[in-house]
Amino acid sequence: MTKIVLAIHRPTIVAISGSSNKTFIRDEIRKILEEKGKTVRANPKNFNTEIGLPLAILNIKSGYNSYRAWLPIIFQAFFAIFQKNFPEYLVLELGVSQKGDMKHLLSIVRPKISIISEINQRYVESFSGMDNLFLEYQYLARCTRKDSGALILNYDNARVRKLSKKTHARVEFFGKTNASGIFQIKRIEKEEKGQKFWLKHNNKIQEFFMPSFGEHNVYASVAGKVFENVI
Amino acid sequence: MFERTKDLRLSVIKQMELRASKFPDVISLAQGVPSFDTPSGIKRRVELALRNGVVSKYSLSPGLSELRELIEVKLAEDNMFYDFEKEIIVTAGSIEGITATLLAITNSGDEIIIPEPTYTSYREVIILCGCTPVFVGLNEEKDWSFELEKFEKAITPKTKAIFYCNPNNPTGTIYSKEQLLGLAELAKKHNLFLISDEVYKDFTFARKEKIFSLAEIPEIRKRVIRLFSFSKSYAMTGYRVGYLHSDESIVAEILKVHDCLVTCAPVISQYAAMGALEMAEKDVIFFNGEYLKRRDLVCARLDKLKHIFSYVKPESAYYVFPKIIKKDFDFGSLDAPESFSFRFAFWLLEKAQVAVVPGVAFGPSGEDHIRISFGRTEHDINRAFDRMEKIFK
Repeated sequence: MTKIVLAIHRPTIVAISGSSNKTFIRDEIRKILEEKGKTVRANPKNFNTEIGLPLAILNIKSGYNSYRAWLPIIFQAFFAIFQKNFPEYLVLELGVSQKGDMKHLLSIVRPKISIISEINQRYVESFSGMDNLFLEYQYLARCTRKDSGALILNYDNARVRKLSKKTHARVEFFGKTNASGIFQIKRIEKEEKGQKFWLKHNNKIQEFFMPSFGEHNVYASVAGKVFENVI
Repeated sequence: MFERTKDLRLSVIKQMELRASKFPDVISLAQGVPSFDTPSGIKRRVELALRNGVVSKYSLSPGLSELRELIEVKLAEDNMFYDFEKEIIVTAGSIEGITATLLAITNSGDEIIIPEPTYTSYREVIILCGCTPVFVGLNEEKDWSFELEKFEKAITPKTKAIFYCNPNNPTGTIYSKEQLLGLAELAKKHNLFLISDEVYKDFTFARKEKIFSLAEIPEIRKRVIRLFSFSKSYAMTGYRVGYLHSDESIVAEILKVHDCLVTCAPVISQYAAMGALEMAEKDVIFFNGEYLKRRDLVCARLDKLKHIFSYVKPESAYYVFPKIIKKDFDFGSLDAPESFSFRFAFWLLEKAQVAVVPGVAFGPSGEDHIRISFGRTEHDINRAFDRMEKIFK
């Protein structure tokens, strides 16, 4: 059903994946697109796995563990084909907690732009080692569309960086590391009302301010700026 | 011997519960426990975590990163910006968060100001931490609001913090933004911390706007420590999970104490908390609607007992704190403390087998009052009031 809906409406799909910081990046991308006047649908909260993703795409709420609640949901799914005002962009968090999750999720959607934030020990228990977890993200890198698509990667994480070699799509990097060609976070300064950061790209340095705190929010913001540059 | 604990007392609420348990047909409106079961979405999240085998090990001391991320997002929705990595700690209920906070920010002999009547355990935790509670009475005539000049008068060189519950237990008062901003000014002037316990913040009945928190103001984030518990909002009292947040300079110190006390909040409960934030929004709305109905029911039943009680209609939480205006009861030879509210509560328990909490347990201004919890079902509330009407005829 989800595949039929996607084939009919053909939205641009932006995938956000990684062990952490997905939600903050997803919200940043949604904000950027909305500011540009685009219509956007993003998956809410934990709707990022095998059941949650189709529901998010079809804009249907979960029935959780209530069979009674699921019956009308299944019914609604049929009518989702005829949804008016289907959004131009779907911004989807793709979460992996078991081996094969990414393959399953990518059998439903084919992202044009994928952003991968981190690959770390979180969720590694179910993968018997980091190499197996890496394979999930490798699959996303490989499946990101090569025609006008892009893979946006956190340069600071060695495993994420390595994914640039596993894709046919255009690759853009962001991070704090001093490397040529990347969107480089030069400095972060905490202030009373938020934080300032300086971003260097193509030998130009720009200053930004955000009301939220924490490095992860700066990374999310910078991922958004790379995304803006790509689209 | 027992220097640290000799002045502590077991919670009066629990004492009442214990006493009540000896009566076979008792209806307890004493303990602040929601009558609802934990929402099914939360239970499903716990089952899933158990099945996936991720609950048997410690989490990081401040809590699971995924949960703290969700908390950061939730706080941002309420205009509070805190870094999940350095400024949020998942605690074993809010009482552990309060204990860790007080141990971190105070020195022995410091004074902590608490507006009262308020939650009974604050006094005990303050004493446990080697500090002195300084009570400042709320004004019942002005719907249990507080008067800033009274706070200012109570401040001494030893004062370290003002510690309040908003919405307040047992009065159900929501402090106004103006009042809270006044407190913030006082805190700045006298270099004090502000500890804001907001466990009832989701129960605002029919009120449209959200409850204002001083944690929304970035300029005072180095003074405000805000606490929340999942117990009341999500009917999870048994899970013992909550969180606190403040500026990283304070949280780093609280974290050391939290680590000493519990290592980390129970991991299975942290997964439940994730389920709450991810899936239980609708349940909170439902509970809120039910508590509104029960609040109106309790008030309607109290209106029929105008010759016994007067009361301020609660705006939040699930308590009403009526004043006992009739004084000439024949309590007989009750084995009860001297306080009138104690004697009344014991007498009510014996006469009607209805358990309530004597108001003096919540501070000196609570004397002559009782706390009635409407966390119980409408059926229980009606039965309890039927019995009370019978004995007050």
